[in-house]
Order: sequence, then structure tokens, then C-alpha cells
Amino acid sequence: MMAPQPLIKSNQAERTINGLPTQVVCTEFSNYIFIVLTQYGKIGTLVSVTPDTRSGDISVPMFTSRVLLGKDEPLTHVYAKNVATFVSQESGNRPVLLGLSLKDNGAQTMKTIKDMIKSCQVW
Amino acid sequence: MAAMENGECDVQEALGSINVHNFTEKILEQNVHFHVMKFGGGFFLWVGSNAVLSNLAVSISSKYDSMPLSTLVMGDTSDTTASSLSQRLAKKTKKQVFVSYNLPMTDSNLTLLVENTIKKEMELHPDKF
Repeated sequence: MMAPQPLIKSNQAERTINGLPTQVVCTEFSNYIFIVLTQYGKIGTLVSVTPDTRSGDISVPMFTSRVLLGKDEPLTHVYAKNVATFVSQESGNRPVLLGLSLKDNGAQTMKTIKDMIKSCQVW
Repeated sequence: MAAMENGECDVQEALGSINVHNFTEKILEQNVHFHVMKFGGGFFLWVGSNAVLSNLAVSISSKYDSMPLSTLVMGDTSDTTASSLSQRLAKKTKKQVFVSYNLPMTDSNLTLLVENTIKKEMELHPDKF
């Protein structure tokens, strides 16, 4: 008999970006996509990115980000929205729970990280 | 970077790879699923019978108190199951523990059996937590 598929689907990717080992783990829940982005091997700052339901009729959807755990800095919100928006849109407007602990918050690294997220798509 | 011989090696060790571990147990006539994500210095544990994430608690040991600090970061604050479970697991493992508990909270017997299942799995696979 084959081992049953786990109920919770998850994928992970690992890559070295500018000399920094970087890990991405994507986990699918019916009401959330949980993504861990780390260069410290930790969950770090927890941020939720939720699509605004009232924006259904306009072409550019709005997102609300909230720091649930950790330091609440403006950059965290910018970063979280930037990496989570496409995930939410592709997963039927599900909210995204993000664990962020990165040493390099640069734009180029973010681009690579977004590619890594795409490579471990669970939605 | 410090010029210690094993410095780099230790950093790599501490970083490690995030490890995911799934298991399922039939408890009180229902399939209860467990999903564990182990990371540096702690783990994330999800418990449920369907793939919903309805709450999230986190606990970490404190040197000022014998009981670890615990907080609910997501979900209904009147339900203390996730919070107290993460607190007990943090005390047991001395690690940062995230818990999402997605079973009916009305059945305290179920909660107890679930906790025992987790502890049994921890003994069986200590490397996964």
C-alpha cells in the first residue's frame, strides 16, 4: 500500500543568493497560504497579507498587511505585500501568512525569492 | 566573520534545512492529521482534521519564569487550546513552538489524546521536532 498523501501540502526550495543560503517553504491551507522566507533558518517576523474584499470591482486589488509577531517596520509591509500579492491572486484570493527573516532585503534578492516561491507553488 | 576553525561549520549547522514531517493518527474514531515544520531553534506544529488554519499560538521559554511565555497571534482569543499546548511543548522542548490547533475545543479528552500522540511522536522521531 502506498503511503497516503499528507493532508497539508507543502513544498520547499533552497538556493544561495549573493552567498547567503536562502530557504523558502510554501504550505497550503484551505483558507491560507503559509510562506516562510528565511536566511536565518527561522520563521522570524510573522505578517499576514489579506486581500481587501471591497476591491472586487476595481482592476487593481488592495491588500492589507499586518505584523502579527515581531518588529513592525514600514519596510516589512512593503516587502510582504510585494512578495505575497501574486500568491494571493493565484490562489483564489486567499490571505497569505508570511514568515520573514532575511539578511538581504534588496530588490534583486526579492526577485530571486519570488522565483523560488513560484518554484514551490502549492496552490 | 570570526576566525574560528569551526565558525562557518557551526553557522551552517545552526541554519540547517527546514524539515517537514507529516503524520496521521486515528483518535476517537476520527483521523487527526499532524504537520510539523522544524526550523532553527524551534518548530511549527499544525493539528487538524481538515486543512484549515484557524488560529496560531507561539511560546518561548523565559529565564524569569518556569512556564514559557505564550501568545495567540491569530484566531479566537477565548480558545486557549493552541496557546496552552504550545506552552507545554515549549516547556518540554525548550524551543520556540508555534501551534495551530484546529479540532473542536469542546472535547478535552480529545485534546489530551492529541497531546499524548504528539509526545509519543517526539519520542519516536526526536529529530523531526
